[in-house]
This record gives sequence, C-alpha cells and structure tokens, in this order.
Amino acid sequence: MSILAGKNIVKKYGKETVLKNVSVEIETGKIYGLIGRNGAGKTTLLSILTAQNPATEGEITLDGKPVWENEESLSHICYSREISPVTMFGPNTLKVKEYLATAKAFYRNWDEAYAKELIKLFNIDIKKRISKLSKGMLSAVTIIVALASKADITILDEPVAGLDVVAREQFYKLIIEEYSETGRTFIISTHIIEEAASLFERVIIIDNGEIKFQENTEEFLAKAYRVSGDTDAVDKATEGFKIYHPESLGRNKVVTVLADKPVENFGEDVQVEPVSLQNLFYAMCVNEGREAV
Amino acid sequence: MLDNLGEDKSIYLQIGEMIEDEILRGILNEEEQVPSTTELSKFYKINPATAAKGINILVDKEVLYKKRGIGMFVQTGAKSRIIEERKKNFYDTFVKKIITEAKLIGIDKQELKKMIDDSKEA
Repeated sequence: MSILAGKNIVKKYGKETVLKNVSVEIETGKIYGLIGRNGAGKTTLLSILTAQNPATEGEITLDGKPVWENEESLSHICYSREISPVTMFGPNTLKVKEYLATAKAFYRNWDEAYAKELIKLFNIDIKKRISKLSKGMLSAVTIIVALASKADITILDEPVAGLDVVAREQFYKLIIEEYSETGRTFIISTHIIEEAASLFERVIIIDNGEIKFQENTEEFLAKAYRVSGDTDAVDKATEGFKIYHPESLGRNKVVTVLADKPVENFGEDVQVEPVSLQNLFYAMCVNEGREAV
Repeated sequence: MLDNLGEDKSIYLQIGEMIEDEILRGILNEEEQVPSTTELSKFYKINPATAAKGINILVDKEVLYKKRGIGMFVQTGAKSRIIEERKKNFYDTFVKKIITEAKLIGIDKQELKKMIDDSKEA
C-alpha cells in the first residue's frame, strides 16, 4: 500500500490564505470523497497534492518521497482538471482528439481501447473543437482522461458538475466497475454529495481552507444523529455533546449531534434519527452550534 | 431487490437485511448463489467495501457461506436461523412501536387486542 501525504500545507495567493496548515493522507486502494463548499479550497488542495501548483509551505510525499518535480512519483498520479473552453489567447481551438493524444503521450499506462470505449459511451465527437463542447461534454472528456490514464492514484475535480442525470449514473457505475477490477485509488471532489456519498469509503471535509474531518464514511455517520423533541428534553439529552445547527419550531428543537463514538441511548424523551452525509455537512457549514463541553 | 436504499440505517445493514428478506420470501433459496459484491455495489452505486461488509455480516450469522473461487451461497438452514433471530427482535422492533403509538392516541390494551383478533391479515 502506498500513501500520498500532504503535511502542514499552507497556500497563500498574495495576502489571502487559501489553505491553512492542511494535512491529509491518501491510502491507495480506496475511493475518497473530498467535499466542501465552493471556494473551500478543494481545487487548490488537489492541484498541490499533484504538484501542479506549488505549496507556500508544507510537503507532499508519495511513499515518503517528495512529489514536486519527481517524474517517477508523478507518473502514478493523474489529475484530470476541468477543461476550459477558453484560453488566455481566446477560444480553445484544440480538437478533442488532439487533447486526448496529449493525455495519451503524458500517461504511461494509458489504455487506448478503454478510452475509445468511453468516447463511444459518452457519445463524444472527437473531431469537435474544445471551445464548441457543451458543459456536459467537457466533463465527459475529463472523465475519459481520468479513467483511461490508468494511473494508480486518479483525481477527479468536480467530475459530475456539468453532467445530466443519465451521464452521472453512468459515471458512478464506471468508477465502481473500474475500482472493482483494478483497486485504483480515486479522489473525487464534489459538492453534489447525496448521490455520491455511498461511493466513498473515506470522506475528507474541507471548509474555509481547513480540513474538518477525514474519516471512514460509514464510521463517521455512525456517530452522527439528528435529535429532536421538546426543547428542554433535547438540551438535557445532548448535554456535553458537540452539536451543530440547532433549530427551533415552537417548543420543539432539532439538533445535529456529532459524538466521538456511537451513542447507545439518548433517553426515551427525545427522537433520534440517523443523518445523511449531506445533511451532516450542511449542519456543519451553517454552524451556529456549540463546542463540546 | 429494493429500488433505493434509505437513509434510516447504515447501508451495509440494509444490504444484509435485503438479502435476508429475499431468503425469507423465497426469492433466494438455500444453496443458491447470491449476487456478488461487485454486482451489489454496481446496482446500488455503493462502495464495494460497504457491500462486502453487508455480506460478511451474513457470513458471521451463518446465513451465507463462501465457496472458494465461485462466490457466496445461502446456507442450508439459513431461513430458520433468520426467522429465529427476527422473532427475538420482534417485540423491540414492532410491538413496542405499536404500544407507543397506541398510548399516544389513547387506544388501551383491550382495544388493541381486539384489533389484532379482528384483523383480517392475521
């Protein structure tokens, strides 16, 4: 098993600090979900992990060796970036097949037959210019590059953002198929959480340039609860726990609890329900809660 | 097969329960092969590790067993083991809920018993 690790990463753009002392560990052979709001630092973190962007401070290593300008380490990593239909010099006039040829030259383990299969599946006209592609087509091309790269560690940044519901389902199935067959590592960033949550073995939550959690998804959710009932009863039952996003409706109160370990019982006076990853994430981000005492 | 997995329970538990339900309903018979981890994960779009966890729980409960190199099969006697376990949990999972709801709306024990006696379902 390999480990891609970022240690104490700080990234500043001018006076703005985009990543504040971030440390992450990516173990190979797992599917990771990187979730965070727009502007939370997802893309910056991914581009730094893959040495496409230098960190202001901190170190990125693959199996202990720095990845920066290290061709051997980087040959195991694919970061399929969002493709821009415009460049600094005007419309991106590159044809899809030229873009794919560049990727083919770049990735050592490129699987041409697989790429062709995916082009057909997503119905891409490779003679088209990048500037003429729809949002969905652009997303599909980045997915094709990511999958056909056959890189050990493959990073997809918001891969489903432009896709319609049919293509999104196809994408999730492709990832599971490829992962089941090869055990490649995937890191998928998204803010469309609900439909992708069950795909992630581990989840990394980033908010405002800081990593809030990195945990096994299932274990993480097993410690989260939505506790509701009479205000006094809820306050009593959740005393001492870390709570997020309390809401009141008349004498009723609802809070999201994130405990350190699964809780056997909150007592008979309150209603307890599980929380989905999306709702937990939401509760954390609108946080008006209190720290554990 | 469920159309969708819910959110009220861990996914691996739902996978396990769904397979148990199919054994109880006779959709899966004893000594019959169950869908593979990969098939389950593709169908439900879940991580294969999660699907495997659901299957493994049933192996621990002696509901399924592994034939090396072939896959998972329903054990002989699985159905009666599932029934036995569910009977044990029946009071906590179902009866308690009925009593709580009955109390809330003022149905007394007598009335509740009569409802069960008169029920056409039983």
